[in-house]
Amino acid sequence: MIKARLPGLIICITLLLQANFAVAAAGTSWSQLDPAQQEALHPLSTQWDTLDPRQQKHLLSAAKRYPKLTPEKKLRFQNNLPKWVKLTPEQRNRAREKSKALKKLPPAKLEHVKQQVREREASKSAAPASSVMPATPAH
Amino acid sequence: MNKQLQPEQIRQLLNRSIAQMDQPTLARLRDARTQALARHEARSQAPAFALAGLWPGHGHATGSQQKHYHWAAVILFAACLFSGAAYWQHANKEHDIGEVDVAILTDDLPIEIYVD
Repeated sequence: MIKARLPGLIICITLLLQANFAVAAAGTSWSQLDPAQQEALHPLSTQWDTLDPRQQKHLLSAAKRYPKLTPEKKLRFQNNLPKWVKLTPEQRNRAREKSKALKKLPPAKLEHVKQQVREREASKSAAPASSVMPATPAH
Repeated sequence: MNKQLQPEQIRQLLNRSIAQMDQPTLARLRDARTQALARHEARSQAPAFALAGLWPGHGHATGSQQKHYHWAAVILFAACLFSGAAYWQHANKEHDIGEVDVAILTDDLPIEIYVD
């Protein structure tokens, strides 16, 4: 009898321990978010329910840090959200890798790289046809 | 030679033997039966943890059963450890992703730079 019960018991306990992963895998609807989360993720209110649960989870993790941001960073955060969710998971992963690599640079070097990027962007704005991100096609 | 006994014959033989027993022996047998029944009841009411040898009243397991309990406890501990480690690693990774995402979203450089 004991031998028959034992595998079941082990499976039950392991399943219980794995329950957190299962809960985490489920999506969250916009109405389930608390007011602080809704405030941080407000630009995504209309498309939130259609987002991938994993993406929702990452955004919720980012939204946790929103209250501590400066007003200027809060504005950037919300302005960038719609563009961020439009990226593919691969693009977001690539962006994360680049961000991590930039963070490792010494401050002076980082500022130099940022300056170069700004200059490059400025020259691109002067010639919109060679923009990094494809512009909305002209009709 | 060896006559095959039917259950009914065995019962009759046993009844006859009991009738020949003295009262103190019968009393001891009755007590032993009562104790055995009480132990059986206590064991069947013990929670599932008894399987892992954690129930205090669990002291009647045979050698092989105890070995079994020991392995069950080891397997359960390993499963808990593995699940805990996996969950911790997962949570850590998610925390890091959230932090990096905020850094990108709040940077003064446009997002396109990171995707380029």
